[in-house]
Amino acid sequence: MNAPTPALVAPRPERLRLVGQRRQMLAVIHQRLMFGMLVYAGIVALIALRILWLAAFGDHAGRKEELTALIPDRGDIVDRNGEPLARTIDAWTIAIHPKKVIGDKLALAHRLSVLMPERTEEQYFALLRSGKTFFYLRRRAAPELVEQVNAIGEPGLAIQREPDRLYPQTSLAAHVLGYTDIDGHGVAGIERAFDARLSDPATRGNPLVLSISSTVQQALEHELQDAMTTFSALGAAGVVMDVHTGEVLAMTSLPQINPNVPGDAPPDARFNRATQGVYELGSTFKPFTVAMAMDSGTIKSFGQQYNCPNVLPAYGQLVHDTHPFGRICTVAEIMEESSNIGTAQIADQLGTQRQKYWLGKMGFLGPVPIELKERGYALTPGSRWGPFETMTVGYGQGIAVAPLQLAMGYATLFDGGVYHPPTLLKIGPGHPLAPGKRVFSADTSYRMRSLLRLVVMKGTGRKADAPGYRVGGKTGTAQKIIDGRYSKTINITSFAGVFPMDDPRYVIVVMLDAPKATPETFGFTTAGWNVAPVVSRTISRIAPMLGVAPNLGREPDMSEVLPFVHDTKE
Amino acid sequence: MSGRSFGSLFMVASCAGAALGCYLVSLRVASERSALEDVEARIVLTQQDLRMLQTEIGTRGRLSQLERWNAGAFELSAPGANQFLQGSFELAKLTQPQHKVDFQAPVVLASAPAPEPQKAPIGEPATDESGAPAITPIGLLHQASLKTETREVPAKTAMATPLPAETKSTDRPVTAAKPAPVKSADKPGLAAAKSTPAKPAHAPASAALKPTQKKSVDKAVAAHSEPVTKRIQLAKTDPLAPLAEKHSGRPKDSPTGR
Repeated sequence: MNAPTPALVAPRPERLRLVGQRRQMLAVIHQRLMFGMLVYAGIVALIALRILWLAAFGDHAGRKEELTALIPDRGDIVDRNGEPLARTIDAWTIAIHPKKVIGDKLALAHRLSVLMPERTEEQYFALLRSGKTFFYLRRRAAPELVEQVNAIGEPGLAIQREPDRLYPQTSLAAHVLGYTDIDGHGVAGIERAFDARLSDPATRGNPLVLSISSTVQQALEHELQDAMTTFSALGAAGVVMDVHTGEVLAMTSLPQINPNVPGDAPPDARFNRATQGVYELGSTFKPFTVAMAMDSGTIKSFGQQYNCPNVLPAYGQLVHDTHPFGRICTVAEIMEESSNIGTAQIADQLGTQRQKYWLGKMGFLGPVPIELKERGYALTPGSRWGPFETMTVGYGQGIAVAPLQLAMGYATLFDGGVYHPPTLLKIGPGHPLAPGKRVFSADTSYRMRSLLRLVVMKGTGRKADAPGYRVGGKTGTAQKIIDGRYSKTINITSFAGVFPMDDPRYVIVVMLDAPKATPETFGFTTAGWNVAPVVSRTISRIAPMLGVAPNLGREPDMSEVLPFVHDTKE
Repeated sequence: MSGRSFGSLFMVASCAGAALGCYLVSLRVASERSALEDVEARIVLTQQDLRMLQTEIGTRGRLSQLERWNAGAFELSAPGANQFLQGSFELAKLTQPQHKVDFQAPVVLASAPAPEPQKAPIGEPATDESGAPAITPIGLLHQASLKTETREVPAKTAMATPLPAETKSTDRPVTAAKPAPVKSADKPGLAAAKSTPAKPAHAPASAALKPTQKKSVDKAVAAHSEPVTKRIQLAKTDPLAPLAEKHSGRPKDSPTGR
């Protein structure tokens, strides 16, 4: 009941301070505890949520990501009918780690030399003792061999599967396809031109569809190889092209290479003569000169006459003919007998400017327009392009183009005069037809049909005829330049053909480099004797495949030319 | 009381149960998915195998290899333009012509005499040129219909026109008639299709013919063994000069044509 004395009630000041401190500390401790708990709960909640999430939507442990789709390491290349031309497969590779070998090295070397006889026992033994860490013994090994090597049981032997580029058709279309290096990157042909497309994971799942038709390619290659062997030629090239779309159906360059083992091929064989090589292709140019003259109005009819002496002096030079007329001749005859003298006069009338203009429009004055990186560049007289050069260019000398360019020119001439750039990719949904560009008038294109058919019916190209397929075309024999001079004996012979001539659909250009004469050709090395038969045989093989039905009763309208031909032979 | 006090426990239990149920569902889904992925992986592996095998077949049967076989072993070459046909019409043209000739010739012969008897009586009084032309067209019409029938049912037609004749010479007609119905019934279609059935074809129609010719050689009078039926009327009444010419003209042509 005693009122507490103030001294008793009031704590001592230092005690008061103590209580305040403790309370503060408690509060801090509570805060920290709470914070720790929240963090802990948060983490637990996070983990729980994550687990729930994974349980509901997540991947499970055994998921095989890489196997869910069949995407090759490098895209396939297929022909226009889906036939595989290049594929990447898992090939067996046999290698060895010499340092990890634990067995008897001599015995191992003996076994290896028996199984893989490309090296001797001594070489294997030296290799095992070389101290190197890794060595390939065989790439792309056959399964039987792999089994036998595996049976040796040596832990130092490494047997594994590696992606490897395989060309199932071996040398077919090798120059178009090209090949890859050891790392699987394209170093030539389509492999090089479309390297990014073929190795990009986004696009390599779909095969690259070429315009090449493997059956047509095979026929062309076979017949050309046959001719090359028969005439002991140094090389050959051939192109088959769709007139209306510019698609290249077949393109070959001989000698062949095998892209499966590109290292074995000599550099000469790796050279693509169809696109990289430029050649003076001779008289195959004459139809262009006539077409230019018709379009520019200097030739009104195939009956137009020119003086064709045995030798034509022009601008201080002489123009010769192999079969001189020695009389007045018509345009139809000039083309039929492939007269240089006549064509030179037509070209002279045409003039340099117009000739250049048209050649430029046809794509003959620049690089070969094709997807491949192996492209040639046309050679022209350049600054020396005067009136005499105009004459020689008119009959195909003094200008060098690739065989593909020549095919392109014929396709333009017979596609109603419309130019489509040549392509190696199939025209379809993913690769629409490029817009055409008019070069010659449709009328000129139509009238040229009978002129070229005449050459095959009655002129220098008779051996190129394939009965029923209405082949038209032009032979070309050019003297080869050897050491800067035109050789008198060595030729480059070519033939540019179109079929069926009453409704042109395909162009075929064939070229032989330095063919030799044989008894069958009676000593001739001109185009009519060696390449024309190749065209005939190839067309009778490929035309039915391409849907061209033979018809012995059809011909283009020959009334334009036949009246103007003076028939002396019959 | 007790229920309310256990309420929270029930809540916890039901929550746990629901969570467990959800988890089981998701577990089930996950296991299904993994099974599906296994199947997908197997499909891909199989596709890879297929690809390998296709590549191997393609490599072994590459075009250059086929070319070697074609050129070397089989000696095949490109077909010539004349080996292509424009359509089924041209194809049919390759086989048709011979058979038609085979059939027509004998039939014309066999039936040629047949109509004559019918018209003979009618024409008898006239027996002039005027009568003859009138008869022939009808006769020809008859023959045409007769021929087609005779191939199949020669007996009937033979019967139909000359009923009385049969009774007379039973021997010969019987032999001719017997084979006819049997064979014609057996293979009327075959006879039409093949040239070999020449024999059966002849049997019905020309069975009558052959004997006639042979016999005619043997016996001058019997010249008409097949016409046996018709002979009586025909032979005597109309040696009709005009008729004979016309009729004989045709049969002669057709055999030579054949």
